[in-house]
Amino acid sequence: MSRFARSIELEGNIPTVGASGVNVVRFKDYDLKYSNGMPIRYVAFPFPVAGQPRSVHKSYVEGNDLLSNKPMMQAIIDALTKPLTDEEKKEGIPAEGAAPEPRLLKPDTEDNLRRLFKDREWTDFNPIILPTEERVAAMLTGTSHTSGEVVSKMGSREITVEKAAVYAVMAGAKPEYFPTILAICSQAQSFGNSTSSMANMIVVSGPIRKELGMNSGIDVMGPFSEANSVLGRTFTLAGKIMGDLRLNAGAYSTLGSNLQYNNVCIAENEEALPEGWEPLSVQQGYKPTDNVVTIGIGWSYISSVGEAQINHPPHMMFRDYMRSLAGMSATIVMDPTVAGLLKDAHGFKTKAELSEWLSKNVEVAAGTYWGNGVNTTAFTPMALQGLEPFAAFSKASPETLIKPFTNAGAIQVVVAGGGIQTTWFVTDFGLRRGILIDKWK
Amino acid sequence: MKKKILFDSFLFVLVALISIGVTSCVTDPVDTVKNCDERLITVLNPAISSKMTERVPLTPRADTLEGKTIYLVDLQWGGPEAGYSVFEEMEDWFSRNMPSVNVEIRRSSGGWMGDDPALRKEISSKKAGGVVIGIGG
Repeated sequence: MSRFARSIELEGNIPTVGASGVNVVRFKDYDLKYSNGMPIRYVAFPFPVAGQPRSVHKSYVEGNDLLSNKPMMQAIIDALTKPLTDEEKKEGIPAEGAAPEPRLLKPDTEDNLRRLFKDREWTDFNPIILPTEERVAAMLTGTSHTSGEVVSKMGSREITVEKAAVYAVMAGAKPEYFPTILAICSQAQSFGNSTSSMANMIVVSGPIRKELGMNSGIDVMGPFSEANSVLGRTFTLAGKIMGDLRLNAGAYSTLGSNLQYNNVCIAENEEALPEGWEPLSVQQGYKPTDNVVTIGIGWSYISSVGEAQINHPPHMMFRDYMRSLAGMSATIVMDPTVAGLLKDAHGFKTKAELSEWLSKNVEVAAGTYWGNGVNTTAFTPMALQGLEPFAAFSKASPETLIKPFTNAGAIQVVVAGGGIQTTWFVTDFGLRRGILIDKWK
Repeated sequence: MKKKILFDSFLFVLVALISIGVTSCVTDPVDTVKNCDERLITVLNPAISSKMTERVPLTPRADTLEGKTIYLVDLQWGGPEAGYSVFEEMEDWFSRNMPSVNVEIRRSSGGWMGDDPALRKEISSKKAGGVVIGIGG
């Protein structure tokens, strides 16, 4: 909204006012300082706005602006006509208000530092290891990269190798974890921050899984592995600090996600893959000997709970469960026994064949598809522009069954688990292309 | 003699314990902080420096909207109908309270996160008196 408003003000010299729910407008100062640079004028409605009946919208328009407490329409007229304040006329990089951070914190007692780390919300509120110079230096021995090298950027905010080492120490990592952590931190800006309950998934592939002692077998998704736990947690700390995500000051998910504590950090059980089923990283074009971490964004996962049945086998259950997903992407995490069944009893010779089958067979009513606000927000503009398949989806009657997973490549399969039960998770995580860990060694 | 040996042993153990405590406070202050509560330690700062973005001023405002065209631009957050009637209510308000204002309601084809260059061009070419853009939330 602010980018659009800025463009209109700049290009056309036309006064513009942003009108939004108070939940969005409360972040306008952050946007001004670090992103937009133009002091866009706003008015704020009560929240929620989207999806409310017209009678409520009428009451909002006839009510007061929550920022100025003036009648809403008067506030809008004022925003478009009142002369600019000195603050609104400012140009250039402001001298005041920048936030340079010293490399070292002021020396203090351990108790006080622990309190400071919590007060500044640099932790997940679980205990951390304080990043002393000695510990950070030890962590840096895990890579050949220099401490000042930039790993990830978000606007003007940068994670350097040294910052990543700080987060690694805080999370309890060992130096041998550090290349994987650097690869993970290179996508720290993707840590879920949304009004929705966005979260991440981290999948590690290649020989490094064994070298680090990652768990890919029994209880792979549970709290039973130091490496899985610490690697996932490091992403949480890095993502929070990178995004300056603090409660009521940058973090704005209404429910949040418990998955953000560990980011579903797992390793694929490559040794247990059925013949012909390639590791996730190999599917992406990497060599089996490459060490790769793949990070995805999603919201939810659903467990099969019980074991596979012969009359309604796992791939049909995947199909049924995937009707509950938004329909943009999916990642299925299955025990090796399920993968074996699918290959030997049901003929899926590769992961890709399974993805293709699901793409063709998952159907959902158009009304249900558009009832998902993420789909509606993301894809309606494309439908209005005539882009397929969204244009066709938008024309379908609410009862018409559509196939939302048009891209089989967006349905990923990860084999993990210990062969104890033929169970699986269907998730809506969309995995990005993996990152080569070896380049961070 | 036996007493002397015992006393010497006691002294030796005492000195050793003190030495261990002192040495560990020096070499590994964090782990032994419980033995020296007021010891000050230095740690690296996890926070990331933020540089302020270059400020750009707002465009100067005219005194009034009377007789001008106002665009109400719906970014379709939540879908094309989710907030649209807010703009219809605004249009209705203008027609009742400021009838000289010409109101144009548009949906941005770029949606919530996107852009709509064609619409921006239209707004510029019409020399609109103002734009209300929304609505998130």
